[in-house]
Amino acid sequence: MQTTASSSLSAAQQTASVRMPGPARHYGRALYLTINIAILVFLLAPIAIVVVFALNPTPFIQFPPVGVSLRWFEKFFASRDFMHALWFSLEVAVLTTASATILGASAALALARGNLPGTRLIVATMLSPLMLPAILTGLALFQTYVLLDVGRPTWGLVAGHTLVTLPYVVRTTLAVLHNFDTRLEEAAQNLGASPLRTFFELTLPLIKPGVLAGAIFAFIVSFDQFPVSLFLVSPGNETLPVTLFNYLKFDLDGTIGAASVVSIVLAFVVVIGLDRTVGLRSYVKL
Amino acid sequence: MMKALGPLSRRRFLTASASLGIGTIAAPYVARADDPTLRITGWGGKWGEVMKAEIGPAFESEFKCKLQTDSAFPYLPKLQASSRSAPIYDVLHTNSNEQWAAAEMGLVEPKIDPKLVPNLADVYPYAISDKIVGVSIFTSAIGLGMRTDKGYSGVTSWKELWDAKYNGVRGGYVIPVNSLGQAFLMMCGTLFGKGQTDLDAAYTALEKLKPIKIVDFTGAMEKMLLSGEVGMCVIHDSGIYRYDGQNQPTDFVSPSEGVLSLEQVLTITPGSKMKELANAYVNYMLRPEVQKRLAETVWYSPANKKVKLDAKYDAKLLTTPEKVSKLIQVDWKWYNERKDEIDQRVNRIFRA
Repeated sequence: MQTTASSSLSAAQQTASVRMPGPARHYGRALYLTINIAILVFLLAPIAIVVVFALNPTPFIQFPPVGVSLRWFEKFFASRDFMHALWFSLEVAVLTTASATILGASAALALARGNLPGTRLIVATMLSPLMLPAILTGLALFQTYVLLDVGRPTWGLVAGHTLVTLPYVVRTTLAVLHNFDTRLEEAAQNLGASPLRTFFELTLPLIKPGVLAGAIFAFIVSFDQFPVSLFLVSPGNETLPVTLFNYLKFDLDGTIGAASVVSIVLAFVVVIGLDRTVGLRSYVKL
Repeated sequence: MMKALGPLSRRRFLTASASLGIGTIAAPYVARADDPTLRITGWGGKWGEVMKAEIGPAFESEFKCKLQTDSAFPYLPKLQASSRSAPIYDVLHTNSNEQWAAAEMGLVEPKIDPKLVPNLADVYPYAISDKIVGVSIFTSAIGLGMRTDKGYSGVTSWKELWDAKYNGVRGGYVIPVNSLGQAFLMMCGTLFGKGQTDLDAAYTALEKLKPIKIVDFTGAMEKMLLSGEVGMCVIHDSGIYRYDGQNQPTDFVSPSEGVLSLEQVLTITPGSKMKELANAYVNYMLRPEVQKRLAETVWYSPANKKVKLDAKYDAKLLTTPEKVSKLIQVDWKWYNERKDEIDQRVNRIFRA
């Protein structure tokens, strides 16, 4: 696929170079580069500012920085509250990823294959958490738990996160299923494979890229989730974003930056972990 | 000898994830104790640290209970969303403006019974005045914060904040979301009009304060003052004194017209099933030794008259009737009734 893509790209470039006169081609290339650099700066500048803030020794944001210090990282890692929040956020994100992936992928399969009446309405309903302000979702869930008299349990928080991450898994899995050739499944079953075997040995590997992409989205959205968590965390079990918000009301120092850097590093670790365990790299081209 | 860990296989990864999940969900149930639980709200930062490390455990030990502190904002919507007969908190700790809003909705009891909280007898009058719902256990003084390295010396009046030399380095708050900003708006009415409730005079004064750098949180204002981005601002005394001993070029000014009161208020919820424990907690928080420890940690002025602070703190905090008499309390009931209208107007002023 890569070869096909690159050959068609070079063909397009060749066609363009034949049609475009020299100076126009030069300006076009310069414009292309400028736009791409601008997009990269737009995406990376906030991360760069966070890193500078985290490494700056002063207890306030200062530019240019006056030195390099790891004091905020020391403070972050020495804080029991932050460490507990970090691990709790990771635990919730892992549980959310598992539940959203299983539920979302199953729902997508049912929607794509089930010949269900009102499929469009069901899809729209499943994607609706993305359209509602998440803070209202959090408040509504909080009220539901209060009415059910279950307090603010961890499973309630995971359920809240699952609700807002489910649409990502449904959407990405449906996208893959849209192009799925069902004749492959028919062939497998004609050759004697049971429906279960067909699913695990044929369907699942083929829809894996979509499921995996949804799972990664689910993890990241859950780990960074703030508005839903705000109402659902219980005393002593706050997630990292909620802990950071409470902290910055009283102390706006580099610890916030250090926590953000740790979060960014963790996101990389998760992607690498997924690569090692489920072979993410083989799907990157998709 | 420790066994070396093998490579992370898919099976091991999934097993570990499942164990982690079950452990996370089950942990609160495993850890649940039989002791009665008092559910309160509380601040983070230094306050949270000392409460968690010392004050809270000492209360739990003495009263054989568990203290469950919610330090995740916002408290009022959570209390509002919970049942009146089984509220999410037994004791609500917030600033006075939110307490008034809670009292108006019937979410908290307007007064504390002095028979059940004997330490109420020892508090300064402001702590249980008609401007207070429940009891104020501490207060901060809202005045002016300034840089001492910019030649701004000799500041004695609130009105100096309007001096043109502070254009570009003047600091204030997003009034709809910050109680210091709201209190300051009322002060503008007093300074330039007929009193706290003279909103027209306050709006005109706010117009004249521009250009001004405004922030949501007081923590952000502290950092802007420390960095020099702001040279003069509205701030509470603890936001300056907490950097005592760090050689920061900042100081707090108590204006001659008086300082505004930023109270830390405790109230009890009417539907609490732990009323006795809730009253015991309020009484405990007013004990001189508890007040002293917290006051010297977070630089809040104690409400109990009998508290004797160390000299360094005594010199700066409001610890005598004379100093306390400088406090100006805001009529939050009046303010909350007009909050929407005020919010719209100040948003227009600062948006323009």
